[in-house]
Amino acid sequence: MTDDASLVARYLRGRGEEAFRALYRAHTPALYALALRLTGGDHGEAEDLVQESWVRAVTALRTFHARSALRSWLCGVLVNVRRGRLRADWRIVDAPDVEPIADPVGRDDAIDLERAIAGLPEGARDVYVLHDIHGYTHGEIAGLLGIVEGTSKSQLNRARFLLRSALP
Amino acid sequence: MTTLPREMQPDPALEERVVSALAGAGLVRRRRVWPAWAAAAAAVAVVVFGVTMFPGGHRPVKGNTYVVLLYEDSTYRPAAGEQQAERVAEMARWGDSLDTQGEFERAGRLIGPGEIGGLFIIRAADDAEAARIVATCPFHKWGGHIEVERFEP
Repeated sequence: MTDDASLVARYLRGRGEEAFRALYRAHTPALYALALRLTGGDHGEAEDLVQESWVRAVTALRTFHARSALRSWLCGVLVNVRRGRLRADWRIVDAPDVEPIADPVGRDDAIDLERAIAGLPEGARDVYVLHDIHGYTHGEIAGLLGIVEGTSKSQLNRARFLLRSALP
Repeated sequence: MTTLPREMQPDPALEERVVSALAGAGLVRRRRVWPAWAAAAAAVAVVVFGVTMFPGGHRPVKGNTYVVLLYEDSTYRPAAGEQQAERVAEMARWGDSLDTQGEFERAGRLIGPGEIGGLFIIRAADDAEAARIVATCPFHKWGGHIEVERFEP
């Protein structure tokens, strides 16, 4: 049994706090990184997304199959939560007033790139973040975002072009 | 192009927020460590058979069930100020360490008169192992005394 499968089984046995915290600590840094980029660097919104995603994920955890990667499944939940919020509140489509994401090692080029990603149009940003940073395939992205693969590819090309133009 | 990290650490407070949200929705069963170590007026009483009032819970791996009773008797030294929170946190960490070993069942507080400050229900292979586990309890540092009894739930 994989570590993830063990953690999930342990949590489902008793829904214990410690078992959940182990799951949380294993996967939240990835969820948060994804949320932060999908929200264009809005820390508050990213935290809300992570919280809601965990609630949704835990509710549906029995449907998770150990054959798939838990992290990918969780990130998919987060992307869907994000989409649901966009549908529910069009106002958050507007570019948020946010601080650029701080790079943990303080590299200027990384900070520039994070800032440029935050400035991308929503659709292009989602595809770029999922594909180029988090390693999703176009097929997976199409499924997550409810678009066709061709759109995913064109959005990625658009994102890359815009980033190249925006970066020094 | 620059490689960006796939992981970032959120504010540590988020973990507590998420756990609280899940507990509020009944999706996480809260670890129960009571906050009344120093409150003599809030002394609690425990009826051992009353543990059956705790339904559900995890299924620890070890064989026998023991109740660990923590007595805040006349030798107990109540905490003051911030020490209270530190004691609660220390007991919580002890519960965590037992949980990872499959030795933790429940910690709880039953309201009532008496000098018992609380109880843990643990699992251990036998009496000797139960005694070894209890010897690691931080409660010893603060006076009082601990009783451990095997029982059939």
